[in-house]
Amino acid sequence: MPEVRIAAEPRSEFGKGGARRTRRAGKVPAVLYGHGTPPRHISLPAREFAHALRTDAGMNVLLRLDVDGGSELALAKAVQRDPLRGSIEHVDLIMVRHGEKVTIDVPVTLVGEAARDGVVDQQLMVISLEAEATAIPQGIDVSVDGLGIGDSITAGQVELPAGATLQIEADALVVHILAAQSAEQFEAELSDAQADVSGPVPVGVGVAPDAGTAGAQPGPAEADATAGAST
Amino acid sequence: MLIPRRVKHRKQHHPSRSGVAKGGTRVTFGEFGIQALEPAYVTNRQIESARIAMTRHIRRGGKVWINIYPDRPLTKKPAETRMGSGKGSPEWWIANVKPGRVMFELSGVSEPVAAEAMRRAMHKLPMKCRFVRREMGREMGDV
Repeated sequence: MPEVRIAAEPRSEFGKGGARRTRRAGKVPAVLYGHGTPPRHISLPAREFAHALRTDAGMNVLLRLDVDGGSELALAKAVQRDPLRGSIEHVDLIMVRHGEKVTIDVPVTLVGEAARDGVVDQQLMVISLEAEATAIPQGIDVSVDGLGIGDSITAGQVELPAGATLQIEADALVVHILAAQSAEQFEAELSDAQADVSGPVPVGVGVAPDAGTAGAQPGPAEADATAGAST
Repeated sequence: MLIPRRVKHRKQHHPSRSGVAKGGTRVTFGEFGIQALEPAYVTNRQIESARIAMTRHIRRGGKVWINIYPDRPLTKKPAETRMGSGKGSPEWWIANVKPGRVMFELSGVSEPVAAEAMRRAMHKLPMKCRFVRREMGREMGDV
């Protein structure tokens, strides 16, 4: 697995003010820790780090950090993002060594076509694996070819890359095939739902008074509420 | 429609509309999602209308998740009523949605189908929204 070399700088400003100044300067505040060493506060160039995360390795990219005249291998353990802009706000980096085993989440990709009238329901989007830090698999392909309705694939049945071991229970469900609704059922359900939505607003809609609410008059609204909740 | 089975208090204060979502900001269950870009009160009718719009487009394939729940009552005083005389009667059930929240998720369909289904659903919602994808271990750039 290729390493991405990034020049990091030690960081001396902390707190939200310092972190914001760091971000305004086009850098990402980060912390580097692991192997029993005290945490080191650093900053990474935002653009280069974002590029590193867009490589094929994705979030499991192996970083070679040049910091303080030394060099450290690290993996991104947690990346905090702004929920709207998507910009990277902070990164936790964990130090790794050549040959060291690490636990990482590897994305699962479904390939092939399952039964024509079935719905493929993927339960696990990532699988936790233990692998060498320098040989992390980029992803796992799971074939759903030939699976019929009711069939499933568990984590134990997935073919793992060489050198990787499973870190979740072998009987964890990865994907299963559900029966699609019949056309009649589908139409009936949709028309019921549509009628529910387009109907008149009942007075005091939906309030199911607590048993302790004195003086509350349960009327048609309560009946509606109960019916709505149970469907 | 989504309605709480039982509530502790029939009438509540209006929930706060400030701030951004502090959780539920990523696509977790499906492959695609609708993310709110503005704060809004989303009623149970709007949620159901959006779900129906999405389901009608994807037909019988695919799976839809609704990540918000309308658990807060909003009250309204009757028309042409003088002020005072206490709080109005409960009229709507709403979910208090903040910017960044992924409200709906979808899986089991191709991206163009999902994008069109979600575009139709967004028209039923009271705020600006956008279509987002699951990151799948790789940073998608536009999320």
